[in-house]
Amino acid sequence: MRRSASLLLTLSLLVAAATGAVAQSKEPVKIGLSAAVSGGSAASGEAIKRGLEIAIGEINAKGGVLGGRPLQLVVRDDEGQPAKGVTIARELVEREKVAAVFGGLHTPVALAQVAVWHELKTPYMGAWAAGTNITRNGQSPNYVFRVSANDDDADKFLTRYATEVLRKGKPGLLLENTSWGQSNEAGLTKWLGEKGIRAVGIEKFNWGDPDMSPQLLRLKNAGADHVVLVANAPEGAQVVKSRAKIGWEIPMVSHWGISGGRFAELTGELSDGVAFLQTYSFFGKQNERGEQVLKALKEKYGVKGPEDVIAPVGTANAYDGLHLVALAIEQAGSTDGAKVRDALEGLKAEYKGLIKTYRRPFTAEQHDALTDADYIMVVWRAGKIVPLAAK
Amino acid sequence: MLVQLLVTGLALGSMYGLVALGYHITWATSRTMNFSQGHAVMVGAVIAWALVVALGWPLPIGLLATLLALAVFGALIERVAVRPFFRASSPAWLLSTIACGIIAENVAQLLFGKDARAFPSALTQRPILVGGAGFYPQELLIPVVGLGLMALVQLFYHRTRYGRQLKAVAWNAEAAGLMGINVPRAVMASYALSALLAGVAGVLLAPLLNVAPTMGTIIGLKAFAVAIIGGLTSAPGIVLAGLGYGLLEAVVAGYVSTGAREIVGFALVILVLVVRPWGLLGAPPARRV
Amino acid sequence: MGRAGWATVAVAALLLPLSTSNTYYLYLACSVGLLTIVAAGLNVLAGFAGQISLGHAGFYALGAYGAGLAATRLGWPLWAAVPAGMVLAAIVGAAVGAAALRVSGPYLAMVTIAFGIIVEHVLVEWVSLTGGPGGIFNIPKLTVGGSYWPIAGCAAAALWLTANLRASAWGRALLAVKSSEVAAESLGISAYLARTTAFTISAALAGLAGGLFALLNGYISPDSFTLRTSILFLLALLFGGLGSVAGPLVGGAALTLLPELLTGLADYRLILYGSLLLVSIYGLPAGVVGAVGARGRRSAPDTGLPLPALSPEGRGVETAGEVLLGVEGLGVSFGGVVALADVTLTVPARGITAVIGPNGAGKTTLINLITGYYRPGAGEIRLAGEPIAGRAPHAVARLGVARTFQTAQPFDDLSVVENVMVGVAGARLGALGGALLHGPGTRRRERALRARALQLLAVLGLAARAEEPAASLPAGLRRWLEIARALATEPRLLLLDEPAAGLSPTEIAELDSRLTALRSQGGPAIVLVEHHMELVMAISDRISVLDYGRVIAAGAPATVRESPAVIEAYLGLPA
Repeated sequence: MRRSASLLLTLSLLVAAATGAVAQSKEPVKIGLSAAVSGGSAASGEAIKRGLEIAIGEINAKGGVLGGRPLQLVVRDDEGQPAKGVTIARELVEREKVAAVFGGLHTPVALAQVAVWHELKTPYMGAWAAGTNITRNGQSPNYVFRVSANDDDADKFLTRYATEVLRKGKPGLLLENTSWGQSNEAGLTKWLGEKGIRAVGIEKFNWGDPDMSPQLLRLKNAGADHVVLVANAPEGAQVVKSRAKIGWEIPMVSHWGISGGRFAELTGELSDGVAFLQTYSFFGKQNERGEQVLKALKEKYGVKGPEDVIAPVGTANAYDGLHLVALAIEQAGSTDGAKVRDALEGLKAEYKGLIKTYRRPFTAEQHDALTDADYIMVVWRAGKIVPLAAK
Repeated sequence: MLVQLLVTGLALGSMYGLVALGYHITWATSRTMNFSQGHAVMVGAVIAWALVVALGWPLPIGLLATLLALAVFGALIERVAVRPFFRASSPAWLLSTIACGIIAENVAQLLFGKDARAFPSALTQRPILVGGAGFYPQELLIPVVGLGLMALVQLFYHRTRYGRQLKAVAWNAEAAGLMGINVPRAVMASYALSALLAGVAGVLLAPLLNVAPTMGTIIGLKAFAVAIIGGLTSAPGIVLAGLGYGLLEAVVAGYVSTGAREIVGFALVILVLVVRPWGLLGAPPARRV
Repeated sequence: MGRAGWATVAVAALLLPLSTSNTYYLYLACSVGLLTIVAAGLNVLAGFAGQISLGHAGFYALGAYGAGLAATRLGWPLWAAVPAGMVLAAIVGAAVGAAALRVSGPYLAMVTIAFGIIVEHVLVEWVSLTGGPGGIFNIPKLTVGGSYWPIAGCAAAALWLTANLRASAWGRALLAVKSSEVAAESLGISAYLARTTAFTISAALAGLAGGLFALLNGYISPDSFTLRTSILFLLALLFGGLGSVAGPLVGGAALTLLPELLTGLADYRLILYGSLLLVSIYGLPAGVVGAVGARGRRSAPDTGLPLPALSPEGRGVETAGEVLLGVEGLGVSFGGVVALADVTLTVPARGITAVIGPNGAGKTTLINLITGYYRPGAGEIRLAGEPIAGRAPHAVARLGVARTFQTAQPFDDLSVVENVMVGVAGARLGALGGALLHGPGTRRRERALRARALQLLAVLGLAARAEEPAASLPAGLRRWLEIARALATEPRLLLLDEPAAGLSPTEIAELDSRLTALRSQGGPAIVLVEHHMELVMAISDRISVLDYGRVIAAGAPATVRESPAVIEAYLGLPA
């Protein structure tokens, strides 16, 4: 009999998992979040979560959706692991019965989940991961949406800035050795090619690398007149420090990754002049929504000011994304995945959002609400992010 | 560029050696080790950051307190994760020390936060530029401190009475016990010392690498590789292996690519073990027949 | 787990996909299956052979990418792609094992870690082959429900194979090597070969699981194959129960399902993970399975058969007077200390030759040299004319030399009868395939091995304890077990290292009579290293006396007893 005890243990675990749904009530409309809440990129997950929570708070304060049903956020940590992401995707839909799921920073996780959203007919709204193929996944009907940068547009934007504003023609690319870096390598090469330019060098580095001097030296020797950087905050900081270390004063144009952490703190005054793209900035004059969100950040999370906002794009993207999803649910009149999806694609209401005003943000061909026309170029000055006038 | 690479390589290499020495110290005393030495590096950096940067303590006091905390950390690991398995001669300590490291990382994440933070230091403000290559004074300080510490440890073991007692425990714990040496205390001391060395490495590296809960894993892994290549039983072997590994890494990263760096480094580990199974200067464990 | 337990699991496994279409549960079940397969393989390596690997994510990756590339680039159908991945992992596993298994413990752990990291980085760097960090897309896949069947089937097969292995000569050999490598080698087993085989099997199973992983997800990327993954594999096995057949399943289920039940505690995930690891190591050394159920079959009752004579067939036909073992001028030093110098000694093919001397005289060293555990610095050792000095212990054993150890080294992980069965089989482990599949040939062999082992146990009075774990034997009986095990190899030369140490007078009398019986019934030549003077004088045909590593007297017992050199060396003979 005792021998079966271990078997009983296993079985009871299964049963517990099965009936775990007992606790859930039918009333709220659940929204899922699959993001890295732990580990090296945890700041991004936290930022997205905050944006969602603030937006949800606003909507619930006005009575929720579908005639009084409050929105409820269900958060799951995908640990940046694709397999975990797939498990979470299935759990959120099959067990938690969410109406839609928001995504996190990791492109591989988002890519792995694409098949699941289509199989289970649940809409997904990306809030950070910029891999081009996430939304351009060849599926029809396409269940994947995004309010965030996408690499293809970002690369177009960065290339235009470097060539038209900085008037530089010899780019050295410095990319992180991940699928995000890979995605941008493709995009940058393509958009540079449209201008008839080839990068003089393409260098890679790994997460956690302390020193990028060899890569920079190679780019310098290849004659680069500016560096296009695709990195997250810790690595970006090391790049900037390496640049100072070898005494190479060269303009740097970066994707938004460096805003995902304490870049200014890590680099001190070395961050000055590093230009990067954002979808939104909490520095400077805010619109009405911006004031609202900043206020909520201060009240709910003890944020002191714009410099204290960690990974701001995550918060901004998620905030707008959630409002759009809420509008779609209202328009669809139900939480049925297919209907919400259709509503998103043909959203009738105009939404004066944080990042911009959204009119018909998605179409059958375009599942990215933001394009390079919406991005802004900003630059670090004395630890503050300052928008640059020209785009 | 070569000068650049050599300086960086020596700095990192000496730190690998310092952490690796920690593996050697506990191995030599008890045939066990803290498989999460890397996390001890992180703990050192985190505590130092908390005291010096966040709380504003003066540097010397903060450092002292950090080292003390690390010694306690090491002793704790020994007590919780190693001692229960020491007598049973079971390899379970391998996994239990890994478990402790995992827990330490999570605790650090909860208390310290998930972001990387900066550890400002006067020695990483302005680089020294030498003909197109640059390095921070910190990168020169590191190998000096590292090698100096390693020499001190060697002196301790060979010249001081307590050090020789610790060595005796390694040779024959039973006999050492009969001679009046408190064996469990000796083992605990070796763990405390080993964690202390890792903590020093963490503090020295913090200004260069930034402080984050995840910073220790790869350092611990490479230090382990260094310990294995040098030979777990040979301190001089480890020191040499550390410097060699650091230089090799820097050169490969510099002239080939960063991806190749890891591959070459770990392939070297396998190669050395195929040719010299117990490390370059290590000795095979005696087989009791 | 008894038959009832397994039947319940099988029924549950069959019912699950039929009772629910919830793809979350099915996906979880598939994940459990995959983890079970990997853990089963690791069980062979860590549970049976006692080697820890922290790099099996590398084999998992090889299986996944092998299958993925075969399916996408070569267009192979899934039923061919998945085995292709498994074969790739097995081949690499054999290579890595052969290179790595000359070392053990932390050295081996490091090699496996290095291997895993290298694979991970190669997957990232070799973009043209592996798709780089982005991975491989659009691997043809089945639905989750469709994937369940092949995965569950393979998991069942993996568990079945490990159960078969456990009950075969191969499995016992692995456990023997794990318990006491030294003793296993003395029976003719090559520890290196055994471990490498275990490693290859574990790599193959990890590769199989990897291929199925690719089939389940349709998308693979290097992020899924990290050091953390390897640690997870090991943790699953440890928690479930190292060495038990059901362990991988229990551990696989626990480690897949528990995180799902604790999703609200994401911030504390690593603490829980680490604590689980600590708990399973500290409190459940035999895992959940070990804690809940004790292994062990019922002991067969004493059959009451008359004590059979020992098999009179020795190896080769040597006449009584012929010299079997010749040692000439043998010498060895350790770190400057001379342990043996110029030792010459002959052992005839029949009879009992004793080697005596004060403590530290070098008697055990002599045995270790003869049996191949040490290499001599000088001199020769000939067995029936053939030089054997410096050969590996298992090679010497295969030539018909058996020995016992000063401190008995039973195979604690095996039962008493299984211990002897290891001796009976010796180096003849049979075909591995047969062992895994437990075909009729293997079953026949098993019965024969067991019968022979029980015979030997009966002769030495251990038949009643045949099914008990060897670890539970009291010290005196361990001695007999070791002798039974050594005799099981049907040696022509048996070296006994202080068999009388710690025995009571009754037991010594028993030893006397059994050794005498061996001699008169045509058993092997015996070399008896002993301190117990009465025993030595009573039963030896010849005695050689060692002191400080040199032979100071040799001859008939009466002569040796009178020898002034011997008396001086001993300064009074012990009682």
